[in-house]
Amino acid sequence: MTIATAPSGSAEARLRLAQAPQARALRAGAMLGLCAALIWPLQAALVAWVLAGLATDVVAGQSFAATGVAPAMTLAAVLGAGLGFAVLGALQAALESLAAGRLFTAADQVLATERGAVLARAARRGVHASQGPGSGAESAAAATSAAEAALVVQKLPFLVPALTRYGPARWRVMVMPAVIVMLVLPVSWVVALILLIAGPLIPLFMALVGMAAKEASQRQMVEIGDMNSLLIDRLSALTDIRLMDAGARTLSDFAARAEALRVRTMAVLRIAFLSSAVLELFAALGVAMVAVYVGFSLLGTLRFGAWGSGLSLGEGVFVLMLAPEFFRPLRDLAAAWHDRAAALALAEDLRAAEAEDVPQVLGLGALAPRLPGPPRIVLRAVSVTVSGRRIAFPDLDLAPGTRLAVTGPSGVGKSTLLALLAGQIRAETGTIEVAGVALDEASADGWRAALALVPQAVHFADRAVAEVLDPRGLGEDPARALAAAGARDVVARLPGGLAARLGETGAGLSGGEARRLLVARALLSGAAVILADEPTADLDPETADAVTEGLLSAARAGATLIVATHDSRLVAALGRELRLPPEAVV
Amino acid sequence: MSALWQVLRLIVRLERRSLWRGAVLSVAVLAAGAALLGLSGWFITASGLAGMAGIKLTFDVFRPSAGVRFLALGRTAARYGERLLTHEATLRALVTLRLVVLARQMRAPSEALARLRGGAALNRIVSDVDALDGLTLRLVLPLAAGVVTLAGAAVMLGWLVHPLVGALVAGGYALGGGLALMRVAKAGRVPSITAEAALQRLRLGTIELLRGRSDLIVFGQMQDRLQDLAAADHEARAAARALDRIERRAGLALGTVSAVVAAGALALGGGLVVHGVIGPAAAALGFFAALALAETVSGLRRGLAELGRMQVAAAGVMAPETARPVAPTQSPKPVPGAPALSLEGLRFARPEAVRPVLEGFDLTLARGEWLALRGPSGTGKSTVLALAAGLLSPGAGVIRLWGQPLADWPETDLRARLMLVPQRGALIAGTVMDNLSLACAVPDRDRAATAVEAVALGAALASRGGLDCRLGEGGTGLSGGETRRLILARAILRAPEVLLLDEPTEGLDHDTARRVLAGLRAALPKASVLLASHRAAELACADRVIAL
Repeated sequence: MTIATAPSGSAEARLRLAQAPQARALRAGAMLGLCAALIWPLQAALVAWVLAGLATDVVAGQSFAATGVAPAMTLAAVLGAGLGFAVLGALQAALESLAAGRLFTAADQVLATERGAVLARAARRGVHASQGPGSGAESAAAATSAAEAALVVQKLPFLVPALTRYGPARWRVMVMPAVIVMLVLPVSWVVALILLIAGPLIPLFMALVGMAAKEASQRQMVEIGDMNSLLIDRLSALTDIRLMDAGARTLSDFAARAEALRVRTMAVLRIAFLSSAVLELFAALGVAMVAVYVGFSLLGTLRFGAWGSGLSLGEGVFVLMLAPEFFRPLRDLAAAWHDRAAALALAEDLRAAEAEDVPQVLGLGALAPRLPGPPRIVLRAVSVTVSGRRIAFPDLDLAPGTRLAVTGPSGVGKSTLLALLAGQIRAETGTIEVAGVALDEASADGWRAALALVPQAVHFADRAVAEVLDPRGLGEDPARALAAAGARDVVARLPGGLAARLGETGAGLSGGEARRLLVARALLSGAAVILADEPTADLDPETADAVTEGLLSAARAGATLIVATHDSRLVAALGRELRLPPEAVV
Repeated sequence: MSALWQVLRLIVRLERRSLWRGAVLSVAVLAAGAALLGLSGWFITASGLAGMAGIKLTFDVFRPSAGVRFLALGRTAARYGERLLTHEATLRALVTLRLVVLARQMRAPSEALARLRGGAALNRIVSDVDALDGLTLRLVLPLAAGVVTLAGAAVMLGWLVHPLVGALVAGGYALGGGLALMRVAKAGRVPSITAEAALQRLRLGTIELLRGRSDLIVFGQMQDRLQDLAAADHEARAAARALDRIERRAGLALGTVSAVVAAGALALGGGLVVHGVIGPAAAALGFFAALALAETVSGLRRGLAELGRMQVAAAGVMAPETARPVAPTQSPKPVPGAPALSLEGLRFARPEAVRPVLEGFDLTLARGEWLALRGPSGTGKSTVLALAAGLLSPGAGVIRLWGQPLADWPETDLRARLMLVPQRGALIAGTVMDNLSLACAVPDRDRAATAVEAVALGAALASRGGLDCRLGEGGTGLSGGETRRLILARAILRAPEVLLLDEPTEGLDHDTARRVLAGLRAALPKASVLLASHRAAELACADRVIAL
């Protein structure tokens, strides 16, 4: 008996793909569970035998002594049956536990694989990817760091219950009702008939619920991401929120989102609860019909339906204990239905994210030996689309040791050029050649080993300043680099000095101080090429001169210096200017 | 434990009615289950007896079978109602709990806010609160319902079957189930805490990886971070597997307890029948009720396995707040003729710093004046602005707004009159209009458009949807200069009397900077402005310049 599902082919295919490597283990677990379910008829037979025996003896009454007929049930027989029931029950529990263990281990492996894949994909996302109203305004919001983290931590685990509960329930549904009917049929064809009529109603109902359940789950998944996204941004902006007295508005915005998530979650639960209530109802009605038939048969009111001489008490008890087990797998399946719906919604999420055309970085972002050639940079006919705008760059030939200022009005593509040179995004047309080889998947990590970046937007890792200054772990003394960048007193002022931890955007530092630390990091790395994005933007003239001097000292030591800037003094100090024309942006 | 207790009391206080009803229905579900099976067993056995003995005419079939139907339907309805009520109530309470945590986070001292890492606070508001949904749903309610039902069952079975059977069944479940469940709580403590901590690390790490990925890629750290995350995932899953093992073991123990108790009821009942103490129908009742009562303990293992995690989460959610000074509620009257802002004899030193940043610092900002503070980076310009905005408290000295001490102004009043644009203002994901709406209670598109024009941002946004231009996380999608100007536009919408600007035109070219400053002046003609700056364009537009 299979359950018809809504045509959600692609999500189902994705879910099948996820569980394919563990298909054998999952099936083995389901089989063990099936074995556990098959024990119950034995227990039922034992109970029927005891109760029938006891009743027979009671009806036969006090005549044992007179007739000399031995009673059917002795104390020893009763105790033996009790022991047998307990042993079988324990065996069933053991088999179930074993099955659950197998299933969980397999589901856990699936979770591990999928989580690893999501994280690996996140790591390969191009640096300008989230800046892309052009790469899809809706996806820009969906792919916030918090939403991605919610996918990894909150949503992916939805796979586990679907695999541990739904799959085995499906196997039981396919096997157990048939087994029960076959066991019941020799006892009473009427009971078998009742079960056969009541049974198929359930899958019919489930098919109706199925679509609603998946849709509700999908909405819940979206809302989980949205709430996380809203929250992370507000949490990062709490100072601004205080300054604008926007606390109450922020709370009510968040309350609306949290409430929306509650409503979505309740919608999922309501469907789950309702469907299991309806199934329980079907099951209860089916069992009640069996019970009524058995009751009247035992009383002798009904004389049809059993083979031969009517239903005995033992047979009645046996049949009645089996009837609920006919419905139980169906109810289990219904209970697991919303697990399945959640997993499908998740699979849909994964499929959509995988299908999305997100800009990718080149290479892995791993430590690699530097490319052997001299760090010459050649650009030919390079263009790229950012924020829906196509930017074409002029051809360039930059010999090692070049000092180049990239200028032009805001939004003309200065930062984009730096990202291209660092392999943080890929050129759509044209070629970039670095150190004598094409900048591609294979060469990018080696190229970046010779690179240092002074970014425009500050994001400090949650690590000690010493580690921030020396991300590659070269272990060199930062004193000289700090001095060259005019940042020695910056570190000296921090509580704990080099051991201090900075806020995410450099709280505890002024903008100029943060910038000087980043320049020091570039100098300390001993890079052959330094890419700097507005390195003097928020510095006073004296400090700006110091930073410029620091960068130039690296250049004098032979490093290539490519600086996006508005600062005319810095442009003058660098000597060569590449002015990006606004008309290149379409 | 006390934090968990506090959370429970909070949830109960918020949702008393629903939870009480849910608790009553929980008991009804368990009791109806036991009654249903017990009655069915009794009914069949009694019918069989009556049939065999030929007394079928005097046997009342209808009342028991009506009872079976009532119990079956009633149990289904009660379960549905109970699930709906308790889940609804718990989820509602959790929304409130999230808001409580966020509100407390928002009240934190300004320096703590600036240093806050978004991911960590996110963990508290999302993960910790999520962890607490099991407190009512999987722990307290099922535990209470189980205890009440078992006690009731002991009495009823004692009366209907035999006191020994009642004692055996209730005692067996209470003792066997209790022992198994206590083991779960004890054994599950460490893995449940470990799993949660590792998952929170995973969330934090994922956020940091994505936010910091530019640096991580260039400096070759991406694979390292991925490995850190893989380690966190590994630890979380290992702990989850351990927890699953513990739960399964408990399931095995509880299944065995249930089989043994039911078998005991069968054997004891059978023995009593053999000795002629009770009838076979009563024995059947005892056995089937015992079978159904397994439900009283089986639902508890998940809740108890999570207990450790809940305790830690509750401690995070209920963390005591640092005491804050009582905020004034009454607005002071501006002193006639007083300067917009005056700083008198300020002293400020960072903790652990040798030298104070400011010592005996005085400054007066006259009404309508543009005053620039200049000085090299690190001389305390930003500190002066943060002090003037009330984000920092001076070690000595007093700051007055319109002649009244800053501390006497209620927060809302202070923020309506005075606005600071810090060096690194934060934007949020959403449209440009969403960002501007943060500044005012009633968003007004015309005013917003005017403000955007004033900071010379209109043209840059025009091709991207204007006010409806969508920004990514933290306002990504705008260049540094555009970000800066949007933040200034936001400040204009606040229409402050006193505007504090920290390097307002950072990242703008000379021409744009001049246009932005002129636009600011035109948009806020009456404002008194204090700016920290070293740019010629900014210094040129000031009425007065003070060197620090």
